[in-house]
Amino acid sequence: MEKKLSEMDYEEEGTIKGIEKGFREKVAGMGIREGKEVKMMTKQPIKGPVVVEVGRSNTSLGMGLAAKILVEVKR
Amino acid sequence: MWEVKVERALTADERWDLVDKITKEVVKVGAYKPGLRDALASLTVNPWTGIPFAIAVLYGFWTFFGEFAGLFTDGFFVRIFGTHWIPWLSGALEGLPDWLFTILVGDRAVFAEDFVGDPCFAAGGVLTTGLFMPFAVVLWAVIALFLVLAILEDTGYLPRLAVLVDTVLHKIGLHGFAIVPTLVSLGCNVPGVTATRLLETRKQRFMMIALLGVFVPCGAQIGMMEELIPGLIGWVFLTLAIGYLGFGWVLNKIWPGESPEILMDVPPYRAPQWSNILRKTWSRTRHFLMVAVPFVLLGCAIVMVLYATGAMDTIASGLEGFLAAVFGVPADATASLVVGFLRKDLAIGLLPIDAMTNYQVFISVILLTIYFPCLATFAMLLRELNWKEILATLGFLIVTIFVFGGILHLIGLAGGWY
Amino acid sequence: MSKVLLMGQSNVGKSVLFNRLAGARATVSNYPGTTVDFDKGRMRIEGQDVEIVDIPGSFSLEPKDRAEEVAVKMLEETKGATVVCVIDSSKVERGLYLALEIIEKRHSVIIALNMADVAKDANINVDAERLEEILGVPVVPMVATRGEGLKELVSRIREAVPVEIEGIIKNVGGKSGTSSHS
Ligand SMILES: Nc1nc2c(ncn2[C@@H]2O[C@H](COP(=O)(O)OP(=O)(O)O)[C@@H](O)[C@H]2O)c(=O)[nH]1
Ligand SMILES: [Mg+2]
Repeated sequence: MEKKLSEMDYEEEGTIKGIEKGFREKVAGMGIREGKEVKMMTKQPIKGPVVVEVGRSNTSLGMGLAAKILVEVKR
Repeated sequence: MWEVKVERALTADERWDLVDKITKEVVKVGAYKPGLRDALASLTVNPWTGIPFAIAVLYGFWTFFGEFAGLFTDGFFVRIFGTHWIPWLSGALEGLPDWLFTILVGDRAVFAEDFVGDPCFAAGGVLTTGLFMPFAVVLWAVIALFLVLAILEDTGYLPRLAVLVDTVLHKIGLHGFAIVPTLVSLGCNVPGVTATRLLETRKQRFMMIALLGVFVPCGAQIGMMEELIPGLIGWVFLTLAIGYLGFGWVLNKIWPGESPEILMDVPPYRAPQWSNILRKTWSRTRHFLMVAVPFVLLGCAIVMVLYATGAMDTIASGLEGFLAAVFGVPADATASLVVGFLRKDLAIGLLPIDAMTNYQVFISVILLTIYFPCLATFAMLLRELNWKEILATLGFLIVTIFVFGGILHLIGLAGGWY
Repeated sequence: MSKVLLMGQSNVGKSVLFNRLAGARATVSNYPGTTVDFDKGRMRIEGQDVEIVDIPGSFSLEPKDRAEEVAVKMLEETKGATVVCVIDSSKVERGLYLALEIIEKRHSVIIALNMADVAKDANINVDAERLEEILGVPVVPMVATRGEGLKELVSRIREAVPVEIEGIIKNVGGKSGTSSHS
């Protein structure tokens, strides 16, 4: 099932399917790109940022940015 | 033919493709069981466990600060200055003409037999209070703050704190990383302004600098508060925090520009490197000393000149009615508020605390914090911001003083605390 | 060699390495027109005094904030410099991304494969020799905090050379680029 990164639940895992243009280049250097496995590490309350793990690195993104990333979620 | 060497830039995709091919050949990843460090890493950024942890860390921070600064200031320097240096100096320079004695050593009344109080603060001379405040009180507070900050930085805790506070700070248009310039500013606003470079847009930088300049007291002030009004410090912080968030919210609404969301690498925890920490603490402290000490000495000299010539009385009586009407501050405090333009620590040291009610002390300290950044910070601000932003900051400052100070005045009146 | 620049993403150990190399003689400088500070110092390479600079951390050469902008500018402005590209051995992938960007700009590069201890603890094995073969630039595994690999890094700094990205593509069995120029 595909969903936005921002919609993933705590501890849910998946594979990155697509990243919105313009944002893609920004996160490339951080190792976030299509085909990489991603795990939701934490979600802050009241629409605070998320922390995700990609390739053994943790990255924090605001909700709006996380919504620009599409993930195929593991069942 | 000739080979023409040109830069050949790959697209991001081509580059990743190449990276993948290379890593496939050189990197072998074995199984890995997450350990204690990873558990800690996720616990401290998870809101339900992370927020209590953050509060505990900040409380520890504060306790350490008080103990450390107290150890040096009360345990050591107050004695050195109070019972050795100042009495000796006043004796040695007794023969000087009055005006010079006043500037170098201080008010002669302090050295009279019947004087009660602490000569360290009360004397006011360049070589007495002027040396006592930066080296005996403020320096240790500043070192303690920078030391703790460097430890938090080097272990990798700060980014996690940034994630936690981003939830709130992004609502006022800032960034979780705004916590870093804020914490640095608690040491000294000057490097705090520098630290705003971590923020992405002009709007965020402007907001941060304006809020820092107005609402964040520096280590020098905190050190003096800890020394002189330990019982009120909690209230002062709470009030300033409310102002910071409230006025930040307003600034965010009215100032144009973008407030992008947080996008930040969260590094793993690492054992701190003492050499790194000491170097960072030292380099910031040295910078602080170079910026602050000349201003304190100059400040003492100016105040004493103003007193000696009687100019202070004129200024004070001019401002007196105004300050009393708007903020409910007694006339005695006016001189201190004037000095606050130069150094706020010095200004707090000059507040006639025994002659005021607690609420008057409280509101004076708040006013001192918010009403003008110290000269060194102001110089930084001029360097950092464009004209429009500088004017806006000054406007913000004036509005804040009246609105915030006025509200506190009204609250005080309503509570009957004056 | 005029200058040595330490470049890398944040938290890879650049500053620790800088302290080791520049020792006590370092000073903090400010990039003109900005508030971005960087450390500058001097080190000895084969008896010669050389300037060394700790460039602010940057994830890629496409800057996303002011500090990163300065990092990119500083790299562009010092064309003749040798770049020590510091990579976290437990995150080789994204470190290489930046390293390749720098290599593409034809700087003389040497790679410091730092945090070898962290990679080992995480059960990640990096074949430094093979990486050196592929890239054609010196690759030195090290643990900056303990000073391991420091001597080798210094002794090999002079071997840093600009290389063709095409060569690297060939070395991993890829086709030699899509665009050709002669
Ligand atoms: N275990 C380990 N830690 C390191 C090593 N090099 C640096 N560190 C730590 O990694 C953190 C980041 O280092 P720093 O030099 O500030 O990184 P920079 O952001 O690249 O300048 C610090 O806590 C260092 O003590 C290393 O080789 N091994
Ligand atoms: Mg660094």
